[in-house]
Amino acid sequence: MVDVAHDVCPAATADKRPVTFRGGLFLPRTHRLVGFAALVALILLWQAASSFGWMSPVLAPSPGEVIDALRRMALSGELATHLSASLVRLAGGFAIGGTAGIAFGMAIGLSSLVRSPGATLVAALFPIPKIALLPLFILWFGIGESSKVATIAFGTFFPMVIATYGAVDNVDRSLVRMGRSFGLSSFAIISKIILPGALPGILSGMRIASSIGIVLLIAAEMIGANEGVGALVLAAGNLMQSDRLLAGVVVLSLLGLTVAGVIGAVEKRLLAWR
Amino acid sequence: MQLIADHIAHAYGPLPVLDDISFTVGPGEVVAIVGPSGCGKSTLLRILGGLEKPQAGAALVAGAPPAASLNPLTFVFQDFALLPWRTVEGNVRLVLEGHGLLQAVVADTVRDVLARTGLTDFAKAYPKQLSGGMRQRVGIARALAARPAVLLMDEPLSALDAQTRELLMDDLVQLVSAEGSAEALGMVYVTHNLDEAVRLADRILVLSRRPGRVRETVTIAGDRRARRSDDPELVRRARELWDLIRADAAEADRELADGEAING
Amino acid sequence: MAAFVVVGLAGSVLSAAAQEKVTVGVLRFVSSGGLFLAVEKGYFKDEGLDVELKFFEAAQPIALAVVSGDTEFGVTAFTAGFYNLAGKGALKVIAAQAREKKGYEGNLVLASNAAYEKGLTSLDKLSGKSVGITQVGSSFHYQMGQIAAANGFALKSVELKPLQSLPNMVASIKSGQVDAIIIAPHLAKPLVASGEAKLIGRVSDVTEYQFGGLFTSTKMITEKRATVEKFVRAYQKGAADYAKAFLAKDASGNIAYAPDSDATAALVAKHVYPSEESAQAAAKVKGAAFFVDEKARLDVADILTQVQWLKDEGLVDASVDAKSILDLSFIDGHINAN
Repeated sequence: MVDVAHDVCPAATADKRPVTFRGGLFLPRTHRLVGFAALVALILLWQAASSFGWMSPVLAPSPGEVIDALRRMALSGELATHLSASLVRLAGGFAIGGTAGIAFGMAIGLSSLVRSPGATLVAALFPIPKIALLPLFILWFGIGESSKVATIAFGTFFPMVIATYGAVDNVDRSLVRMGRSFGLSSFAIISKIILPGALPGILSGMRIASSIGIVLLIAAEMIGANEGVGALVLAAGNLMQSDRLLAGVVVLSLLGLTVAGVIGAVEKRLLAWR
Repeated sequence: MQLIADHIAHAYGPLPVLDDISFTVGPGEVVAIVGPSGCGKSTLLRILGGLEKPQAGAALVAGAPPAASLNPLTFVFQDFALLPWRTVEGNVRLVLEGHGLLQAVVADTVRDVLARTGLTDFAKAYPKQLSGGMRQRVGIARALAARPAVLLMDEPLSALDAQTRELLMDDLVQLVSAEGSAEALGMVYVTHNLDEAVRLADRILVLSRRPGRVRETVTIAGDRRARRSDDPELVRRARELWDLIRADAAEADRELADGEAING
Repeated sequence: MAAFVVVGLAGSVLSAAAQEKVTVGVLRFVSSGGLFLAVEKGYFKDEGLDVELKFFEAAQPIALAVVSGDTEFGVTAFTAGFYNLAGKGALKVIAAQAREKKGYEGNLVLASNAAYEKGLTSLDKLSGKSVGITQVGSSFHYQMGQIAAANGFALKSVELKPLQSLPNMVASIKSGQVDAIIIAPHLAKPLVASGEAKLIGRVSDVTEYQFGGLFTSTKMITEKRATVEKFVRAYQKGAADYAKAFLAKDASGNIAYAPDSDATAALVAKHVYPSEESAQAAAKVKGAAFFVDEKARLDVADILTQVQWLKDEGLVDASVDAKSILDLSFIDGHINAN
C-alpha cells in the first residue's frame, strides 16, 4: 500500500499539474435570439420544402399559404368574429373556473373540514379528460354558450385549486403566527398575509390553467359552434382546408403566447418584491 | 402593566416541557430567560404571549396597558417575520391597520418608530434589500408601533452576526431605559446567549433541561446603560451562568433530533 | 347462408397465391353493400384481386388513406372536404356508391317533439329553426341547402349546429336542443317509432342526389390501370346484385324482394352489423337499402351541381375543377354526363 501511494503521489516538486476542473453543473444559459432563430429556421425549411417540391401540397400547405389564409381571414373580418367568440368563452370560462378554483383552493388550504374531502375529490376528478364529459355537459347545459363556458370553467378549475392550495401550504407559517401575535383578524390574516404570500403560486397556476383553457377551446367549440377559433380549426379540418386549419392553429398559438405574456406582465408588477 | 407567569406547566404529549414557572415583569423591567436547548424557553414565551395555552397555570396581566396601546404583549421574532411583499413602512403599517386610526396618526406613528430605530432612510425599501440587522430593526419598529406594555423577544439577535448583534444590543439598551414610570416598556428576553442576558436583564431566570424549571433567579443590579460588554464583573456573572447550565447543555447536545419538536 | 361463407373461404385459400392484393377503405354502411357483395360472392377473386376491406369510422380519413397510399381504393360519401382534397389532383372518382332517389330509402328529416308541437310539421317551416348536422360541409349540410332552395328560403335563415357525430345528433333531437336533424333512415326510424321525434319529410322528395362513390388515387390510374379496370368490373357486378336483391319494384311501385334477397342481405349484414345476430341484421339491411345504380354509374350533372353549390357557400375552394376529379373512362354510360 505504501509503495502504491508513493507511486501515485510523486514527491518531485517539478511535476506540477493543474487540478482537474470539476465545476460543470449543467446550467444551460438562455439566449432569446437563438430560440427565435430556431423558429424562423424551421419555417424557412418548411417553406423551402414546399417551394422546391420536396413536400406534396396535398400533405401540407406552405407557410406562405398559411399566412395568406390568415391575411384573407383578417381582411374579411372572419378572424375577428372567430377570435372574439373564443375570447368571450375563454374569458368567461377562465373567470368562473379560476375564481372558483382559487376560492376552493383557499378553503382546502385553510380549513381542516374542507381539506381531506376536497383534496381527494380534486385528485379524483382532475385527471378526467373533459372531452369525455362533453356529452354530459350538453345534457346539463345544452349546446349553447353555457356548455362551452362550462367546459373551459371545469377544465381550468382543477389546476387552479391545486396551484392555490399548494401555494397556501407554502406560505410561511411564522408570518401567520406574527399576524396572530399582533391581534390581526382572521380576515386580515387571509387577505394581507396568506393571499399575497400565495400569489406567486396562484399566478403560476394561472399560466397552466390558461393554457389548458386554450386547449379546451377546441373541445368546447366542437358542438354546435359556428364561430370561434376552435370551430374554425375543426371546420377547416372537416373541409380539408389545411391552410385555414394551420392558420387557426397559429392563431391559437399566438393567443397562448399573448395570455402568457399578460400573466408575465402581471407577475412582474405584482411580484416586484421578489 | 405587569405580565405574570403563574405556575405555568406544559407538555407536548408525554413529554413535559415546562414545570411550575412563576415570575412577574413590570414596567421598565427586563427578565431574561436562559437555558439549554429543549428547556422550553420559546414555549414559555408563546404561552406568555397567548399563542399557546398552558396545560396548568396561567399567563396573567395586571394593571392598565399604556394609553393607546394596540397590542400590549408584542413579539419580536428570531426570524424577523417580515412580509416580503411590503416595504419597511408597509410592514410597520400592517399592525396599525384595522384599528380605525386616522391616516395622519398612522403616518406619524410610522415616522416616529422608523426614526427611533434608525430606519427613516429605508422606509421604501423591501426586506430583501436589507441586511439582517436592518431587518430586525424593522421587526422592532413594528413592535414599537403597537405601543406594547411588554415586549416578548424570542432570540431576537440570534440570526445576526456578532458585530451586528453588538450594535443592536446598544439600541435595545436605550429602548428599555429604566425610568420607573408606569408606562415604561417591560421585556421578556429569551436567549441562549449569556452575554446578552447579563448586558440587558434585571433578572435572569435560569431554566433546567426538560422539563424546564426555574433552577435559579440571578439578579443583575445597576443601570444597564452603564454596563459594558468587557466589564469584568459582567464577564464573571456570565461565566457563573454558564457553569449552571453547562451539564444540561452538554446533555442536550447529545440528544437525537426527535427532541427537536420540543426544543426551546 | 353457411354455404356462401364456406365457398368464400375456400375460394380465398385456393387462389390467394396468384392474386394481386388491394385494400379498400370503407364505412360499415348498407350503402356500400355492392362492395361487400362483390367480396362475398368472389367477384374480385374472379378478376384475380385479393381485396382486403379496411373499415373506418369516418369518411374523411378514407380519402386521406387513399391519398397517402395506405389503401388503393375508397368507397364513401362525398363531402366538401372530399372535394377539396380531390381538387388538389390526387384523387379520382371512378364509380358510384348510393344515391338519394325518390321512392327508395334515403335520409329523413326529423323534428323534435317540442318543435313539432310548436308547428314544425313540414320542410317549408324549417326557416328560422336550428338544425343539427354532423359537420360543416357534410352531406347533411348540402342536403339542408337543397331543402332550403326547394322551399324558397335562404340557408342562412337556418341555424346549423355542427354536432360532430351521429350519436350527438340523436341525443340533441331527443332532448330538443335542436329543432330538427337530417339523418340516415336506420337511425331515424327507431326514433320515430318510439315517439322520441317526428318525421317531417324525406330528402329524396326534394332532390335526387349522388351520395358517394368509388375513388382511387390518380397514381393508381396512371400506373396500374388494368388493376383499376378489374376492380371496377367486379364492383359493378356487386352493385348489380345489390340492385336486384333490394331495389326491384313491382307494378304498383313497391319494392319486390327476390327469393334470395334475405341471403344477399345476410352477406351485407356480415360487414355492416358484424356483431349482431344474422336474421335480425339482414332485416335491418333491407330496411335501410339506399338506391344504388345497377351499373354503378355516376350522376355526373349532380356532382357538378354539388361542387358549384359548395363553392358558392365557400365550403369548397374556388380553384377546384369538378370535372377534373372525375374519371369516367372505366364505366360506359354515366348518367347526365353531357
